Amino acid sequence: MLQFDRVKLPESSDALRAEVREFLAESAEHLERPNSDFTTGHDPAFSRKLGACGWIGMTWPERYGGAGRSFFDRYVVTEELLAAGAPVSAHWIADRQSGNLILRYGTEAQRQHYLPPITRGESYFSIGMSEPNSGSDLASVRTSARRVEGGWLINGTKLWSTDAHRNHFMIALVRTEPVSENRHAGLSQIIVDLKNDGAQIRPIRNIAGAEDFNEVVFEDVFVPEDRVVGEPGNGWEQVTSELAYERSGPERFLSAFRVFVELVRAAGDQPEPQLAAAIGRIGAHLMTLRRMSISVAGMLDQGKSPNVEAALVKALGNDFEKRLPEIARLAVTDLAEDDPRHRSFRQAFTDTLLLSPAFTIRGGTREILRGVIARGLGLR
Amino acid sequence: MDDHDTLLTDAAARIFGDLCDKALLDAAEQGEFPAALWQTLRENGFHELGLADSGVSLAQAFSVIRLGGRHALPLPLAEIVLANRWLGDGERLASVGRVMGERVVDVPWGRSAELVLGLEAGRSGCVLVTPEPDTVTRGCNMAGEPRDAVAIPAGADTIALTEPAFEYLTLGRIAAMAGCLERVLELCLGYVNEREQFGRPIARFQAIQHSLAIAAGEVAAASRAADAAVDALDDARFELEVAAAKARVGEAAGVVAEIAHQVHGAMGFTHEHQLHHFTRRAWAWRDEYGNEAHWQRRLGRHLAALGPDRLWSFLATRG
Repeated sequence: MLQFDRVKLPESSDALRAEVREFLAESAEHLERPNSDFTTGHDPAFSRKLGACGWIGMTWPERYGGAGRSFFDRYVVTEELLAAGAPVSAHWIADRQSGNLILRYGTEAQRQHYLPPITRGESYFSIGMSEPNSGSDLASVRTSARRVEGGWLINGTKLWSTDAHRNHFMIALVRTEPVSENRHAGLSQIIVDLKNDGAQIRPIRNIAGAEDFNEVVFEDVFVPEDRVVGEPGNGWEQVTSELAYERSGPERFLSAFRVFVELVRAAGDQPEPQLAAAIGRIGAHLMTLRRMSISVAGMLDQGKSPNVEAALVKALGNDFEKRLPEIARLAVTDLAEDDPRHRSFRQAFTDTLLLSPAFTIRGGTREILRGVIARGLGLR
Repeated sequence: MDDHDTLLTDAAARIFGDLCDKALLDAAEQGEFPAALWQTLRENGFHELGLADSGVSLAQAFSVIRLGGRHALPLPLAEIVLANRWLGDGERLASVGRVMGERVVDVPWGRSAELVLGLEAGRSGCVLVTPEPDTVTRGCNMAGEPRDAVAIPAGADTIALTEPAFEYLTLGRIAAMAGCLERVLELCLGYVNEREQFGRPIARFQAIQHSLAIAAGEVAAASRAADAAVDALDDARFELEVAAAKARVGEAAGVVAEIAHQVHGAMGFTHEHQLHHFTRRAWAWRDEYGNEAHWQRRLGRHLAALGPDRLWSFLATRG
């Protein structure tokens, strides 16, 4: 049976939380259209301000620009930013996974080169995993890197790379050896400089009309030797090692949070019973999901690898963040069209609903996660 | 959990597991008081777990109540433990219900209780009633658990209660439901690994795997929500944590029971199978001490009063 321990955030987190709230209160110009989805709001100026506060890469050692703080502290900062609907997309992937990967598997020179600018909120990373024919079946990637004099020559196409047209780097999962019997072997992770290496980047319009994700085409793109992260051939282990970090964070159940805020605003302080019940229902779900997410953070803090628990939090959280706007829209019925609360609710609702199909796809589809959970339950 | 806690819960798990077999559950449902079980509980001091001098915290007592739910214990452990706590001694088979007019209603095993506490909504005290054969009207919930009505005689004694009695009893249901749902999931996992169709265990089918992954998510959520409510026992927001937990666990109960019956097929629909002892309890307990809507409204009114700018602060607790 899966276990979600009773984990409490440390007392010291209260002071940090207050600091973040104060910072957010002074950042009104970055919060004109708040959205709790971590992929919206690419705002380099905001990211640099966060970096100046020491809140990017904050768990990394100080010698790389980090703050040596605990995983719980990072949890507090990220959930406060998401709840406020702050524009975190620029630095999010670098902070959450690219930097951690470089810290764990990179060379000393790579750490010194890549990490400090990330912590300053100046250097942004995109994910380079999916391809036209590789989505959930990630090990089937075909983008190749061939060893040449002084480096590697990359050929292939990466897909759905969020913000690749705006960010500086991509960590691409590529095949550096031909497919063998062990399909997880022969994969490597290589850092691509999106501004300078010559990859062709084409934004793809999504159903919300935004151009956030991209197709990135490599045609004999040369990257120097020192861009490989970790051991060539070790890519699969590296890619899967951070799954628990990627999957259990607050961004997996808070994406629709601003709709809840607008629902409560629309409801006023004395809602009728059905509206009150809708608010309470959402609140009860969020309280529980957040505690489950913090339980996983606690396991990670203890050095455990709660991959199944993380998959469960993500699956449960994603399903709920999709249901939240649905509960809210049926609960808000009595607002006059010209009530400003009507407009702010509709805007948050529309912005979130149009993004919501992505909630249960990105970072591991619902179907993949359910498979992970089932195997964790001993079903196979 | 320290060693003492583990000793207690281990003992409870062993005793409940040994005694709560299907024959006992069936007999209790037929109205036969489980006297041997009650005797064993008394011998092991489970009825006085809530006493101030029991050496057991209230949180630990709720851990045992949760185990009771896991084994479909056919005695109202939460009522017994809490009633004896409020009475200040641990001698009796005491039960608790709520006052409605001239009667105390929804009293688990009121017919067999030596003393019944009647709670009144909005009052901090309760009335004490000694049931007599001619003052008890028998009834039961959909799980076949006795839920009797007991007439209140003129001039019945009352005692003052300093603790939030309704919320404590609600927490009893929350804890029992969390334990019960864990058991339902275990029954499912056992069954789908044994049952073969198309030449293989049905556990191999993705449709079954995904259904049980959903159920596992709900069970885990119920468990974490129940723990959070127990952790809030001494907290100013206890009532609101109870509200969140009962609402969340109630939702989980509906989903898990539905999936459990689906994966068990017709077999799980038979009285002969043990599944229904747990699913019917989960269904019944959803509606006892306030259903999801009741507690959602309570929590929702509080959140609405806080307003959009203080909403997040309420949710973002340390524990």
